[in-house]
Amino acid sequence: MVRGIIIIHLVSLCLGAEIAQSVSIKTGDQLAVLEFEGWAVSEPLTEFLTEEFRQTVGDLKIFQVQDRGITNQIKIFKPREKDYWSCWSKECAIDLGRQLGVNYVIAGNIQKKGDDTFLINGRLFSVDMETMLDEFAMGTSGITDSLLLEMKKMAYNVSGLPIPDTLSVGSGISQVATTDDIKRKRQWIKLPPIPSKIKALLMSTAIPGSGQIWVERKYPGYGFMGTEATLGMAAFIAYYQYDKAWGGFQDTYKSYQNDTDPHNLLELRPQIIQYAADTRKFNSFMKNIRSVGLSIWAVNMVHAYLVAPSDDFFDGEYFFDLEYKPDVNQVQFNINF
Amino acid sequence: MLTRFNSILIFKIIRFCVRYLICGAFVFFSCEEADYTLDNPNDPENMDLEPPALFFHPQEIQTNLDSSFSVQLYGLKLNPAAAAHLDIRYDWGSVEIDSIVADTFFQSDNDPVQIVIDEEGTLDIFIYLLPDTESDQNGGGTWSLATIYMHPVSTGESELLYGENTRLRDANNDSVVVKSFGSGYINVE
Repeated sequence: MVRGIIIIHLVSLCLGAEIAQSVSIKTGDQLAVLEFEGWAVSEPLTEFLTEEFRQTVGDLKIFQVQDRGITNQIKIFKPREKDYWSCWSKECAIDLGRQLGVNYVIAGNIQKKGDDTFLINGRLFSVDMETMLDEFAMGTSGITDSLLLEMKKMAYNVSGLPIPDTLSVGSGISQVATTDDIKRKRQWIKLPPIPSKIKALLMSTAIPGSGQIWVERKYPGYGFMGTEATLGMAAFIAYYQYDKAWGGFQDTYKSYQNDTDPHNLLELRPQIIQYAADTRKFNSFMKNIRSVGLSIWAVNMVHAYLVAPSDDFFDGEYFFDLEYKPDVNQVQFNINF
Repeated sequence: MLTRFNSILIFKIIRFCVRYLICGAFVFFSCEEADYTLDNPNDPENMDLEPPALFFHPQEIQTNLDSSFSVQLYGLKLNPAAAAHLDIRYDWGSVEIDSIVADTFFQSDNDPVQIVIDEEGTLDIFIYLLPDTESDQNGGGTWSLATIYMHPVSTGESELLYGENTRLRDANNDSVVVKSFGSGYINVE
């Protein structure tokens, strides 16, 4: 792979000055890391490992790695019949690379082979050259830490750099050391990661149904969204009617209080009574809508929390985690607040 | 450790926001109820009259010796009528009549005919609607029949009353029912 990159750069340097600009554009170092496909591995775990891989490759500064959000835009704006994360062929990867405007694309998958055995596959595609430059495969036993380590190793492989000894040891200490070695200069403020359940809850709190849609439970999501939108529209119409009646009430009541002509006063009196009755009617309608809307909103929030995937790969720093205790030979569930 | 602290802090902030969002929604989603009191003293409904009725408007007049004033002879929910004899009693030692003008109630395309006889505290006003091409009587309702312009001649309190000869007639010369009569009060300072 390194040779491939070096050859690309050498070719670009050897060409004339006039065409150097176009060549440098074509052989840039923009890289998009597509989300790894998980085979018998949970989606949050693959997301997490992909992001770690993406960050590690970015920290090595061989490639300019495209941000996750930009890469994911393709999923949002140009959905495919089949989910593009399983894009494993050259044509598919290159097509996506062009849409993302990058020079290289990495696609991969994480397969669970046994109880504690995982296989990580990765492919590096050159969008400009329309070819697959390299293919990687790494096996590992053990869950999170080991997988994370293998992803970091793969990041070094992809970048064409030798894997440091600290990573090769494969212990918890080596992982910390590696993390320390990588200086993430641009991350001045790093907010703590939010578990998927909380994120879904927040999204559905802000926009009903959005949390469900985010966790791919689209029909309930659209249902909640549609119901709340309908109730909102009904409330808006009721408010419009109320506002109209309230305006009429205020005008007529003010006239009634200031006028002295008995004929006018006698005409204003029933109008005031009617406007007041209307304001009460529409206000009562709005209150009913409010009650129903809030109930559905609350159900939507609970539903979003329940249907969101559990981030059981989080390790001790968050709200809860699963931890293996070798001294008692048990997996323990911990809650941190 | 710091990350854990931040997570807990964020969770607490979220819990705070959600709690007050829900509580606040109950306040913001409802609107003000219309609260009113129909207590205008010029409103005939507040004059304890049984319609159809005749009353003075305004009911109470506060004035002084240097100024003149007017009072309207008002009909409340009257049936259609073509003529009226308004027998008005007043304290002729307290106020003097300047003029009388027929008002909206008997107005058609033509101005009404009016005859006024003022004799020492008894004011007889005869008003006749002049028929036009469309009708020979009015449509009834709550309107002013006439306006009396007067001025005080001495200080003190006096009363305005409808006399027993007051009556209304329709185009067929049948009596128009008037169930109750209001009174007026003048205080000259």
